[in-house]
Amino acid sequence: MKDVMDFITSSTFLLPFWGFVKALAAGMFGLNVGVVLTWVERRMRGMVQDSIGPNRAAIPLPGFVAAGAATGPAILLALGVGAAAYLNWEDAQFFRDWGMVFLQAGIFLGWMTTALIARVVAKRGAANEAEKAIGDLGGPRTVFYFGLLAHAAAVLLPELAVGLRLITAEQSVQMVFGAGVALLIFALLAGAGHVGANLAKEKTVRVTLLGLLHPAADGLKTAFKADFIPEKGDWLLFNLAPWISSFATIVVIGVVPFGPSLCFGQDASGVIDFGRFQGIESVGHACRSAKMSLQVADLNVGILYYFALGGVGIVGAALAGWASDNKFSLLGGLRAASQMISYEVTLGLTVIGCLMVYGTVRVDEMVLWQAQNSWGIFVQPLAFFLFITAAIAETKRVPFDIPEGESEIVAGYFTEYAGMKFAMFFFSEFISVVGSSALMTSLFFGGWHLPFFTAHGVHVALGDTVLFSTRLEPSLLALLGVLTFIGKTIGLCLLQVLIRWTLPRFRYDQLMKLGWRKLLPASLVNVMVTAVVMLALQSGSAELASGAAYAAQLSMLLLGLLGLAAPIALVVFLAAPTQKQRLVVNSAARYAASLGGTREANMEA
Amino acid sequence: MSVEIEEIKKPLSAALGPRQVQGTLLERPVRTASVQSYIPEMVKGIGQTMGYMLRNTKDMVLGTRNDPVLESISDGINTISYPEQKRPYPERFRGVHRLTQRDDGSPRCVACLCCSTACPAQCIHIEAGDYSGQTGVGAHGEGKQTSRAGYEKYPKRFVIDELRCIFCGFCVEACPCDAIRMDTGIHPSPYDSRDQFIYEKDLLLSIPGRFGEHLTENPRLEPGDEGHPGVDREHHH
Repeated sequence: MKDVMDFITSSTFLLPFWGFVKALAAGMFGLNVGVVLTWVERRMRGMVQDSIGPNRAAIPLPGFVAAGAATGPAILLALGVGAAAYLNWEDAQFFRDWGMVFLQAGIFLGWMTTALIARVVAKRGAANEAEKAIGDLGGPRTVFYFGLLAHAAAVLLPELAVGLRLITAEQSVQMVFGAGVALLIFALLAGAGHVGANLAKEKTVRVTLLGLLHPAADGLKTAFKADFIPEKGDWLLFNLAPWISSFATIVVIGVVPFGPSLCFGQDASGVIDFGRFQGIESVGHACRSAKMSLQVADLNVGILYYFALGGVGIVGAALAGWASDNKFSLLGGLRAASQMISYEVTLGLTVIGCLMVYGTVRVDEMVLWQAQNSWGIFVQPLAFFLFITAAIAETKRVPFDIPEGESEIVAGYFTEYAGMKFAMFFFSEFISVVGSSALMTSLFFGGWHLPFFTAHGVHVALGDTVLFSTRLEPSLLALLGVLTFIGKTIGLCLLQVLIRWTLPRFRYDQLMKLGWRKLLPASLVNVMVTAVVMLALQSGSAELASGAAYAAQLSMLLLGLLGLAAPIALVVFLAAPTQKQRLVVNSAARYAASLGGTREANMEA
Repeated sequence: MSVEIEEIKKPLSAALGPRQVQGTLLERPVRTASVQSYIPEMVKGIGQTMGYMLRNTKDMVLGTRNDPVLESISDGINTISYPEQKRPYPERFRGVHRLTQRDDGSPRCVACLCCSTACPAQCIHIEAGDYSGQTGVGAHGEGKQTSRAGYEKYPKRFVIDELRCIFCGFCVEACPCDAIRMDTGIHPSPYDSRDQFIYEKDLLLSIPGRFGEHLTENPRLEPGDEGHPGVDREHHH
């Protein structure tokens, strides 16, 4: 037994084990964000266009089962909170640590639930006295403002009471803890009770998980569909093409760092010792002995790997077009090949500027450079625009979906594909959106880096004046880094989806003209300008260099201010009046309503 | 620019052939630098899409707009979620035919063959019968008394091939007795085999109108009723 434990904790096991975990995490990240993107695309497009979202796939559950599933976790959580409070009743330190957390969580849960009920009441009318009382409070917006006030009051009132000598500090801690536990348990139980009571009334409840089951059902459907292969097509290449295409898109994520490198100690023989965690590699701290980078493949070629695999993706699309024995497919394959090769050139030349500035091809070192200086979007703004354009063209999505070209060549290079192989092509587009977003995050948006976060905590400084400084746990910083990276990647994915919603498709000649006559010269100019500026900085005076450093700090400050402005903008945005006051909008809906609604009409389609 | 257009307009309208077609020249699209360089306009467009998405999402969160998934079945979203929701047909929608009935349940049809003559698809087949003697046959069952005996025809068979029918409504227009109607509001159902599309008289008589009625609002006066012109085989003007 001891041997087994020793083996599991030894680096001979842990090194490949963590490698496997990282690969699995990266792969699952790409696949799952891809799936969620298909969901976002449909659901939020429904939001933009006032149409329905992915609502078809559902698991019907009996009402009482659904009620149990909804209330069970909440009741367990409430029991857990109660038990924790009971077990630590004498522990003053526990009170201090968790009292405010419980209170804020209780307030948050309370106003959230109340706002949701108020929303339902405003829409359908109150079902019982409790709902009526909540409806009388006002709309969900009023409840939201009350909630904000309550959050602030929970922080300020105890301080104020202590300050005015009404109660002692000890009493205040006890009161906050008591109120917090009581409120949290009440909010959990009352909210769960309301939801459970409503669900239990229904005979069957359709569980749709907000429509997330829809992509899952689509995946299942394609897996069971007939696998069509054209009679005179090339059997081998036809089957190979979707694998090449989707393989190339998934493995791209391998070179992108998901978080800061973790520093570990070494044992006597110089092998990494996972027992001795020594912080993260970020601003102000470099790993002294061994480190584990949070990226799947620690490649020296770094970004070049991305371009190499981009080239492989072209092969997949071109092969699919060739092997299908279909003229539309062939046209689509040719278009895919020419388009992707054209934009590959721009993509490569755009990154040259970044390579010159960062001085490395390793993506993790690029992120580190950005953390120490300034984000790529400030250093290479033109390169970002060129890169995102070329990257969308590489993913073959709107407005560059000429290879698909439904209006001209049926479905382009995958016209003949059905079932799972079609889904692999379809899906590889979404995954390549995730891959390119992850890469853009690392190249231009500082990867896992948040402004003012160093290896030891938060440090806000301008020049030599330190405005704010605090220390944080390195493990917490590592987690924050990973979450930051995921958040930024998802943001860029959403930007690409927005572009897809907005822009119409280019014509083929426009596409080629844009690629060769606009983007390519622009990227060359970008390289030249970068070279000139870098030469000036390197050979120029010390003032120039310090000015650049100061500008870098200003850019970080700007990002920090933007981060602070975002919540304020959110509140202002919420305060604006709603646009749609009536539920029935267009003439068809009004006609249906006058005939008794779309479910009760006498004459119906 | 606009002055030039004014100059062009007159000779052009004069030169547009003998019919002197009048027209105004459309202005050329504006091609400013921001339009030509594409990116500012593109950013504007993305901003517009994003604005719609954020505003609509806010409306949804605040409860004045439906959730596209959870509340897709409720009224309020313009897309209709068939088959849970069904779009109401207009009142004059031509659905599957029905044969209207008299008060006693017999068909109003007098087998005049107007409808089958008018039918452009030739999908109506009628075999006429006769209410002969004192007892009616067919319509009310064997041996039953009918006041129409001796003067009126009835359809022994009335068959519509709903597969051939083009739903033009000419049969309804042609009918002098208001005996055939297409106001059922039912659209033709799909079936497994062709013979199921052959609708016989009994089926056609059993299909109700849009509000479940089998009669029509037009009165049908039988011999002996007040207001009946009294014209039949024995008594005529």
